[in-house]
Amino acid sequence: MSIELKLSRSNRIFRPNESLEGKIIAKFPSSISHQGIRITATGNVNLQVRGGSAGVIESLVGVLKPVRIMKESIEVRSSGKLSSGTTEIPFTVMLREGQNGFDRFYETFHGANISIQYLVTADIMRGYLHKSLSATVEFIVESKKTNLLKKPVSPEMVSFFITQDTQRHPLLPELFSGGFRVAGKIITQCALLDPLNGEITIEASAVPIHSIDIHLLCVESILIGEKIVSETSLIQTTQIADGDICHSMTLPIYVILPRLLTCPTVSAGLFSIEFQVSIVISFQSELAKLHPKSDPTIPRLWLAMETLPLRLFRTN
Amino acid sequence: MEFRVRDYEEEEAIYSLWPRISTIGDHPLITRNLSSSIKVDVADSGKNDFYDPLRMPTAHIQDNTADDLPCDEDPYLSAKEWASFKRSLMQKFSGSKLVTISSISDAILRRGKVYEISSAATHAEELDNPRKASEDGVKVITCQEYVSRLREFQDEIKHAWKADDRVTSLKSSIKVARLLLDTSVSEFYPTLFILVTDVMDILGDMVWDRIKRKAEYVDDGTLICSLQENFGTSDVCSDAKETCYNWFCKIGSIRELLPRIYLELSILRCWRFLHEHPWKILHRVVMMIRGLADPLASYYCRLYMVYCAQKLLSPDTGYLVACITDMTIILRRIISEEETMSKRLVEHNVSLISLLEPPLEWIIKSICMEAYKKRQYEDIFVKLQLGRGLSNSSGTSECISIIIHHFLKELPAELVCSHASFILQLIESANDISLNQYLNYRLLGLKLSEQKSRVDNVDSVLGTVFQVITQYSRLDEYVKVVDAFLDIVLQYNMDNYLTIILDGISIRTRSKEITGNELSSLQSIIVKLLAHFNLVEDVLALNHFLEIIHVMHGSSRDVVNMHILDKGTRNGYICDPTTVQMLFDISQTLHDCPDTFSVKADHNEQQAHLISRFVQLVDYGAAMERHLTFLVECRGAFGRISELKEVLVRSSNKLAMKAIKDANNPVDFVKSCIAFNEVTIPSISATAKRMNLYLETVEVSLFSGLVCHADGLVYSAIDCLQSVDQSEGLLLQNDSNGVLSWIQKLCSLLVIIPGNPEQGVAYCPGTILALVESHSWITPQLRLRVFCTILSLLATLSQNKLPYHAYDAEVVGNDRLFYGDPSYHQELASLSSSVLTKVIDGVLQEPNRVIRGNLALEACNYVLSAYKATSEISTICSKLMEIAKSCLNANDKYMRNTVKYLDKHMSNTLGDATKPVVST
Repeated sequence: MSIELKLSRSNRIFRPNESLEGKIIAKFPSSISHQGIRITATGNVNLQVRGGSAGVIESLVGVLKPVRIMKESIEVRSSGKLSSGTTEIPFTVMLREGQNGFDRFYETFHGANISIQYLVTADIMRGYLHKSLSATVEFIVESKKTNLLKKPVSPEMVSFFITQDTQRHPLLPELFSGGFRVAGKIITQCALLDPLNGEITIEASAVPIHSIDIHLLCVESILIGEKIVSETSLIQTTQIADGDICHSMTLPIYVILPRLLTCPTVSAGLFSIEFQVSIVISFQSELAKLHPKSDPTIPRLWLAMETLPLRLFRTN
Repeated sequence: MEFRVRDYEEEEAIYSLWPRISTIGDHPLITRNLSSSIKVDVADSGKNDFYDPLRMPTAHIQDNTADDLPCDEDPYLSAKEWASFKRSLMQKFSGSKLVTISSISDAILRRGKVYEISSAATHAEELDNPRKASEDGVKVITCQEYVSRLREFQDEIKHAWKADDRVTSLKSSIKVARLLLDTSVSEFYPTLFILVTDVMDILGDMVWDRIKRKAEYVDDGTLICSLQENFGTSDVCSDAKETCYNWFCKIGSIRELLPRIYLELSILRCWRFLHEHPWKILHRVVMMIRGLADPLASYYCRLYMVYCAQKLLSPDTGYLVACITDMTIILRRIISEEETMSKRLVEHNVSLISLLEPPLEWIIKSICMEAYKKRQYEDIFVKLQLGRGLSNSSGTSECISIIIHHFLKELPAELVCSHASFILQLIESANDISLNQYLNYRLLGLKLSEQKSRVDNVDSVLGTVFQVITQYSRLDEYVKVVDAFLDIVLQYNMDNYLTIILDGISIRTRSKEITGNELSSLQSIIVKLLAHFNLVEDVLALNHFLEIIHVMHGSSRDVVNMHILDKGTRNGYICDPTTVQMLFDISQTLHDCPDTFSVKADHNEQQAHLISRFVQLVDYGAAMERHLTFLVECRGAFGRISELKEVLVRSSNKLAMKAIKDANNPVDFVKSCIAFNEVTIPSISATAKRMNLYLETVEVSLFSGLVCHADGLVYSAIDCLQSVDQSEGLLLQNDSNGVLSWIQKLCSLLVIIPGNPEQGVAYCPGTILALVESHSWITPQLRLRVFCTILSLLATLSQNKLPYHAYDAEVVGNDRLFYGDPSYHQELASLSSSVLTKVIDGVLQEPNRVIRGNLALEACNYVLSAYKATSEISTICSKLMEIAKSCLNANDKYMRNTVKYLDKHMSNTLGDATKPVVST
């Protein structure tokens, strides 16, 4: 006795104002009677605040009430019987914007504190004597095609320099005295399906380089009362140099944005999701070997870094 | 019983073939008219257009050379070449047996047991290096273990894929790729690279197939479209594109650079599903590889990239140029601080460069292949900043010698020839630890020697090269370069350089032990010289030539000597006594050299053959005495060569014959020749050769009337046969008619040789008879035929006029010697009757029926031709015919003819009184 949900699109991506299509596949050894079959599509923003920055106020810790983006429920079959064997019941649900508190759909996102999730559930009600049967799958919402931006002709590159003087944290004495100079450029606006592009050149460095990494960071902010609680989390690290590479050679920055872990930059009042890119140069140091598992985003004596905001958007 | 009287002259007139044919004129072997043969010629020349595989394709030589070059449809290095490259790479670096596992590659460890450093397997190493052993956490694994672990990984990846668990496949593949992070395995790295990339290729193929299938079929298996070989992105459905993009996303999320690059490379071809011009991404990949600081890791990574990039069919070679430029920068970093480096570091760097060489070689090969395809060498030279390109050859930047080496290796010879001076400048400017400069000079020489076109500025090029190499103090470097340029020197007849070369070698070989490499170069030089000159005398006369040969030793010396001998015996007779002496000395060195090379049987055989040929070709003209002395010397000097003894005997016989024809009173000389042979022949081991030579010498001695010698030689020949033992006899039997023909020949000579009055004329035939009866290896068939031969001999000797006599009139024939002597005839008759009694038994001993029948007929014919038909004879003949009848088909032609012959004889002689005994 099982039921299963299958969506019409194998990638499960749907856009606002499209109809969510699929079918319920029910397999029974014998026929059963039911009191109606119902399909419910929901969209919620789940917010939670973990200790950290808000730790002073105990009451802030914990899960906040989810914010509903949408809820659409339809009965696909009124009460009746389902015969034995496999039965397929097709369904269609319109994904209409502006029904609830939010005027538009946000894209699916699974972050550390903020999760925007869309689910579709099928229920077969069987009265009080029997447990009702149900199945749930997630579907993914991407922005409406008509709302999409045209891809900028040439993505804007921002130049950066990393030297011992641009660092706001203490450095190893040999780093500071010997000096280093790293130049590069990187885009700060990036389409989700495009790689994050840029380039970087070690122009000089007295201390040999151990590694260069690009960190993709996500800044999730939640408005609690009058206070905005922000937390930055690391989404993905991409190493672009391993070891003491030749100086004056240009290296490419090339990062493919991970799906689900990224979404268009959102600022919705109650919450916001923003992104950053951080270029981290770690120098060879005996000290670094003592901290092999340290959080790479935390400034250390042997690290030099440059963090830039990154606006993500969806294009055609 | 009486011997039949024969008139040989009359019989010859009657039975000779020639007069009959000339009258009848239809013998198949006789050309009847000339016109038909002319016709054949015409027909043959007219049919020149048909293809004869054995004929030289004179007209097509030009085309063939063009075919040798890679054709335009397949401009890429093929999979086959890659496979052979991989094989050679593994062989080249197969030295290490144990691999040290660092923490990076501990993925390999989780799959089974590992030798702790203290285990027995590595005990020896522990002793060698106690400090290393005491370090904690160092783990060692044998190469085979490593390989089998990787095979397990490979199976795991395939299994997971089949079970639709593609994530596990990918994860395992990443683990495998990470193994390449550990470059501390140094010597093992190339092998590791091959093993890992094999796994990468497997994953790549699986992903490609899956996406291609997605593009071609719907989930339920119905065909959407089939992708052409050169499909575009528009042919690929969005579902397949999505899957493909997901793969790149998954791989893009790998944190570490090296495994990320390898994984992307493994599925690089899949960019074809997403990009209309997928090769455009190659530029980015080349740049990404720059992030790998370790030279070893980055070189091999580039190698894999170039290999994978070929599948994208890129029309642009920019990525290859960029690759080589980057590699050059890294290499320059390794070699740059040569002066400041410690000796150990230099050694380390040199061994590192030897590991870096294969990727460099492959990539340069690829780029040259591309350049060849597009005829764009110029362009590539400019892009690589190898000087300022070919056309503007003034001023060159500093180049790295190993890079020049591999370029030079790949460049077509014509290009090298036409830009020789420019390339020379490049070579001059590149002198670093990556590759010894002399190897580049050598390579240039070899390329120029290919001689497909004329060398540009040959004088100045050679001038420069020689200026450089005269500075070389080491013999091996000197001879290697000289060897390469020798062809050009010879081709352009630059005798001054030849003198310089020989002087140079001579100076550098003095008071010095010569090593194997040097020997092989010297050998090559001398072989080239020998090939160049027409006459061996010219070569031997070169300055220092003999001196150089004398410093050589071992197998090279042998090879050189053999070449000299070969050259010396190329142009017919050798008359010049000095040359003969030199070649004799060389032969002697060859012959006397310590027998270390005798393992190579063919080598020895060839050597023996050359010496024999030399002896054969020596000609002293009228100085025959000297020639004989020479033969005696040879016999003494080359005792080991049995082949030569035969040549010596033949030469001496030839000398004797020449003396008989030319000289007035040659007897003494001929006697010495014969005596020489009498001594020489017994030392030959092979019976067959000995027999032939005895018979030949008997003839020569009879020719010059030396009856005594002939007599003695006949006895020796019979002794020789007598001494054949069971096992050798069986071998001789195989050479079916050998023994019989010797005996027949011997008997035919006995006709001429005057019988010895003391021993009696039947002594020799009697000995032969005794011989065939006493040896058990003689088959019944052979024995019977010898009986018949002896019967014929005796019948012939009984004639009043013998069919032939000795050439020399002083040799008196038996017919004159014993004319009318009754005891002589008595002796013949008694021996013949004893033979006759054995004939029937002899026939019956033959086990095979058919042979027995034929033997009976043969014997019958012999008996009939030897004896007058008497009743005794007719009884014997009829018995023989009965045997034949019982064994053979009644229609057998031979039998019917024999019967006819028998009837004729019997009726002729006996008249009607005796009826034919046998009829058919």
